[in-house]
Amino acid sequence: MQNDIERQDLRRRIKEAASAQDARTAVNLARRLLAVSSKPADIMFCASTFTGIADTLTSQLGAKRLKTYIVRSVTIEPILPFLTTEAVLSNYVLDMSVGGYGSYADELLNPQSALAKFKPDLVFILLDLEDIAGRLPALCADGIGDAVEAEIGESVARVEQLLRSFRSGSSARILFQGCVVPDQTSLGDVGEANLPHSLTNAVYQLNQRLAAVCRTISDCVFFDLDHLAARHGRANWRDARMFLASRLPLSSASFGIYAGGLVRSFSPLFRAPRKVLCTDLDNTLWGGVLGEEGPEGIATGSVFPGNCYLEYQRYLKQLSSRGILLAIVSKNNDADVREAFQIRAADLGLTLDDFVARKISWNEKAASIRELAEELSLGLDSFVFVDDNPVECEAIRQQLPEVAVVAAPVEEPWKLIELLSAQPFFDAAVVTDDDANRLNEYKAQAQRAALATSAGNRDEFLASLEIVCTFLSALDAPLTRSVQLLAKTNQFNLTTRRHSAAEVEAFDSSPGGQAVAVRVRDRFGDAGVVGLALARTEGNTCSIDSLLLSCRVIGRGIETALLAHLGENAVRAGATRLVGEFIPTKKNAPCADFYVDHGFVKDATSTDTSTDSIFYQLDLTTAAPESPRWLTLEGNESNEFSAGAVVAS
Amino acid sequence: MSSQQVPSSLRDILADVLEISPEEVTPELGVGTIDNWDSFRHLQAILAVEGEYSVQFDPSRIPELTTVSLIQAELIAKGATL
Repeated sequence: MQNDIERQDLRRRIKEAASAQDARTAVNLARRLLAVSSKPADIMFCASTFTGIADTLTSQLGAKRLKTYIVRSVTIEPILPFLTTEAVLSNYVLDMSVGGYGSYADELLNPQSALAKFKPDLVFILLDLEDIAGRLPALCADGIGDAVEAEIGESVARVEQLLRSFRSGSSARILFQGCVVPDQTSLGDVGEANLPHSLTNAVYQLNQRLAAVCRTISDCVFFDLDHLAARHGRANWRDARMFLASRLPLSSASFGIYAGGLVRSFSPLFRAPRKVLCTDLDNTLWGGVLGEEGPEGIATGSVFPGNCYLEYQRYLKQLSSRGILLAIVSKNNDADVREAFQIRAADLGLTLDDFVARKISWNEKAASIRELAEELSLGLDSFVFVDDNPVECEAIRQQLPEVAVVAAPVEEPWKLIELLSAQPFFDAAVVTDDDANRLNEYKAQAQRAALATSAGNRDEFLASLEIVCTFLSALDAPLTRSVQLLAKTNQFNLTTRRHSAAEVEAFDSSPGGQAVAVRVRDRFGDAGVVGLALARTEGNTCSIDSLLLSCRVIGRGIETALLAHLGENAVRAGATRLVGEFIPTKKNAPCADFYVDHGFVKDATSTDTSTDSIFYQLDLTTAAPESPRWLTLEGNESNEFSAGAVVAS
Repeated sequence: MSSQQVPSSLRDILADVLEISPEEVTPELGVGTIDNWDSFRHLQAILAVEGEYSVQFDPSRIPELTTVSLIQAELIAKGATL
């Protein structure tokens, strides 16, 4: 009864918020209502309220509005209010249109179909096993099923054709729903499990192959409905009565779970996952308080309850291996934490190296997260914060509302993974190599940024980076990389000449020619080959044809080192004069003063009026450029060899 | 007849499903008497009522339960407490 009073009160307030066009309050109250009530009537109430304020949801909460078409062979209508509601709770407004039962193939194939005319942003394809592979139950009945493989192959090919045909005429995102493994069959559970061609095994195989097809279609996700049904409980998933009477594929008790699963599945098609997980330490990453119990006293490792925390650490490690960055945000002493990670290394699933950054101090956590966002150049909406302290959680919710907050359950540490995985914020349908490498990339960036703020002056900062420049032949960069740099570098590129591989080779092989690449690494990481210079010495003059540097490493003196390196080689080849050339473009203003800054004098006489080229010259006998002292140089010797060869020729 | 003759729990469910005010839910209200109560809404209404009172109707009876009073009578026949 108490519950009913609360329901009525919440509903009244939702109505008020909706009529006042206060979308945020309406959604928050709806969340509370649905937490206390799963009554279908309350879901429908929320759905019709949300539909009434659809524009406000979009304008005030930035809800993504999606024209959604449902291609189906089953009854979906009673589920739509659930879908509307779940979508709004995930900040989507779906404007839905539903296709005919029997016309799903025509809708997907016919460019004049209702689906094509609707011009959807999103298409759900919800078919029953009957429609995807209707002969399977009969073919699998004996469990031997010679024709099962062929039937699966044909069914998958048919689906693939439908998807490809639709994709050729529409760029809408696609969600394709898999089949649910039938719960009751004539073979019985033992036969289903043990016979190679039981229906259960056939549907598993069918689903895997359908998922594989979806991977080959752009912007298409496979919705693993069977997985959802299994988690929720197959026994209650379907209601044979309603399927047989009304082709309703689910029991009404499953509507909410189903709608939630659909929304979570299509969401990665529209939203990038969050990128950073900030974890607290005490009673979150491990049990107990480090400052009180010491490194030996905290709970972590193979014994309960330490293994709850170990599980959480392993979960984080798994997130990290696909590119989710981990950070520590903890009120602690940094030295104590380092000691704990050292002493308890054997009991921990993570090392300090697994974290992109540590914010261990007595500062406000909101300030620490803000700093972190700046250091990593990521928006706060990329962050997730996990902490057991309700006060800290509330502070972040209020001060940094963009950050997703997960409250770690202190009394039930085994539930933390469940809480985390229930949240969609790290969902991704694809993972690339770049994702997997993200940790190293950001780690280096964060450390450089931290150093830049702590180091007193620029030189000191640059010296502390311990930058090493390695010079190598542009042919060994390898050559494809050199050509790529010439083709792609715009900002710090003095002449923007897009030379071919053959032209680079010509610089290398011609007498007095230089084709030099530079590889850069510092104490935080290896940036790879990031710079290139091409020059040619004729008589006493060395002319620089091209000089460029990737913008990632500008401002660390590497450009000066490259110039100095060219100068040294030129002197060895007999030059006394270095001539630089600058051709202005829309993008290369950052290097317009490069030669003047390095002591060159603008050469008015040699300016070629037919081109935009501006020439500069430098006397190598009196003012040869020198490499900055904070750089360590490697790889000069190979060029000595080539310079020697030049002299010999 | 007025909505007072419909038990309040049933009245509220049907009002939500049909997106009308509870006062409009009278015993005679039924499929076709208002635009909102079409065949899909009917299925929704039946499912919501089943869930609320933990009963299951015989599918062949569902199409016949076309008014509020018929639904109410069927619920009573199923032993539901309204």
